Amino acid sequence: MLESILSILITGAMISALYALIAIGFTMIFGVGGVLNLAHGALIMAGAYVFMALNRDIVAEAIALPSIVVFPLAVAIVAGLSYGLYVGLVRYIEDNAVITFLATVVLATTVTEVAIGIFGDQPYSYTVISGTVGLAGTAVSYNDLAGFVVSWIAIGLLWYYITKTDGGRSILAASMSERGARLTGVDLHSVRTRTWLIAGSLAGVAGIFLGGGQAATPLMWLNPLALAFIIVVIGGIGSIKGSIVAAYLIGYTETLTVSVLGQSFRGILSLVILLVVLFLLPQGLYGREYVHE
Amino acid sequence: MSEELQRSGAVRSTVRRTIIGPSGRVAARVLAPIDETLQPLADRFNRLFGPYVGDVTGLQLAALLVSLVALVVAPTWAPLLAGNYMRTLTLACIWAIFAMGWDIQSGYTGYISFGHSVLSAAAGYTTALLVVTVSPDLGFVVTIPLSILAAVIVGLLIGLPSLRLSGPYFSLVTFVAVLLFYRLTIGFSETLGGENGFQAVEVFTWDFTMRYYYMLVPMLVVAVVLTVVARSNVGMVLVAIRENEQAVSAAGLNPTTFKLWSFVLSSITMGIGGVLLAHFGGNVDPATFVVVDRSIEMIAMAVIGGMSSILGPIGGAFLFVLLRDEVLRLWFGHSTRWIVLWLLVLLVLVFARDGLFRWIWHALGSIGGDHE
Repeated sequence: MLESILSILITGAMISALYALIAIGFTMIFGVGGVLNLAHGALIMAGAYVFMALNRDIVAEAIALPSIVVFPLAVAIVAGLSYGLYVGLVRYIEDNAVITFLATVVLATTVTEVAIGIFGDQPYSYTVISGTVGLAGTAVSYNDLAGFVVSWIAIGLLWYYITKTDGGRSILAASMSERGARLTGVDLHSVRTRTWLIAGSLAGVAGIFLGGGQAATPLMWLNPLALAFIIVVIGGIGSIKGSIVAAYLIGYTETLTVSVLGQSFRGILSLVILLVVLFLLPQGLYGREYVHE
Repeated sequence: MSEELQRSGAVRSTVRRTIIGPSGRVAARVLAPIDETLQPLADRFNRLFGPYVGDVTGLQLAALLVSLVALVVAPTWAPLLAGNYMRTLTLACIWAIFAMGWDIQSGYTGYISFGHSVLSAAAGYTTALLVVTVSPDLGFVVTIPLSILAAVIVGLLIGLPSLRLSGPYFSLVTFVAVLLFYRLTIGFSETLGGENGFQAVEVFTWDFTMRYYYMLVPMLVVAVVLTVVARSNVGMVLVAIRENEQAVSAAGLNPTTFKLWSFVLSSITMGIGGVLLAHFGGNVDPATFVVVDRSIEMIAMAVIGGMSSILGPIGGAFLFVLLRDEVLRLWFGHSTRWIVLWLLVLLVLVFARDGLFRWIWHALGSIGGDHE
């Protein structure tokens, strides 16, 4: 009994850490630009596939770099893709919320087809760090453990950046009041660019570890995106703190459901929680009212 | 804004000046006489039906009649083309119903739903469950109304909680509804058939021509009914909700009631489409009905055709399905075809936000002269 509780605690923490990364990126983009980026899941998928392609020699014979080199490279590439997404598409349509919605979701489906076209529709498995370690009687893979550690390092860095540096504080300011930020001399364009870079790198990190834990598949963007939705709505759209809290709430709920009810019920309880939260607190735990400007 | 934005604007206006403008003028010169000759006919149409479905100009009426005749006599021309056009057109009719169903809710009220595949799935699954678990010989008189009712019930289940929310929250929740429904089909695979679904639904007919009319007639009926509704006061309130919800409540109307009605109307339409789709191929499974791609496809159809109109989604659905199943299939491999299709949709989204068919419709209308 005690052992299974411990096991749930540990597995839940591992997966929740990645959920938090996914949700933070998603919520930051909404907080700053008012853009719901439905292509966020595609960035997560890109993280997994880029890492896999550079790390394993099945895709290109010549390339099989060690994880330690590939990891930062893959994160940088995904951050670049995220930046490209903003500059190449979202910037032209962000004034219209509906079009942004539709365009990003269409982009995500396109990316699925691109992944199928290049890699075929079978899953590719890989690990960031192979091997497992026994932790209080639970076997935890180094991949998940590394994901947990990197997630908290990333969150720590983000917190430091947002609260202690001018560049970060301007992001915070822009997310509170765009007009206020502009009046105090914040360059909104640069704020948005940085937000997309940050969100992209967080998505990249999450994607790499998610793919390492399960496998890279062409449809792997959908579940993380759904999770990001659920977490962000529960935590309150635009709130980083809310995202972290809700990510752990959902991560633990999922782990609990899977270990009690079985794999096929994964996610159903989270969706029920979502509905309950929406009924009681329509703006989420730490959210503020969505103001359509 | 930045330089690039200005530059793209300049490119766009150059294209408009040098290509679209002159060719438009040429087209107008050619088409104007036709418009004039047909105007008396259009005037009669407007006197009879104008109050219900809106006024048309001569050319618009001509376009309507030509497409209607082309659709009705499709069995005579479709076999002449390479490919299985009868099947594709039949599917396009079903998808046009879906696109209209999505549009009467999302397009008109501006509350974008990603959950509409669930509504058609509710109808499809009800049909399948009735046939499989209750009795195979219930007959269409029982199964079809019950299935549509199921779509309405599920629609209310989704609509009631989610319509309390505004803007992006609503869309997120409807998106989640699709995933919930999908998970349920997997989680309760003994009752809901799991990944494979049901194959037991009776097919209306395997005869290509008859099957086409089985789908075309309901589509035309739905289109007329929805046009009348959209042109009525209800439709006006729905558009008003999209433009300014506060103004609607300030006028003493409860926006939520109207949003719910639009959801119910849309559920009925989705139910009809779901029943037709179930009887089209005889199988009801998550890949055909539930998965989020189906929702995205109907949204794409409505948007490339032109949101918040009825003709737009129909045109969009036919264009989308014809491109997907015939034109692009001829030229590209399986996944390349989808990439090309989605990129085309993306282009329409960015460069022709109001939709292609809406644009054509207004262009035809403006040739007549004093309109717009």
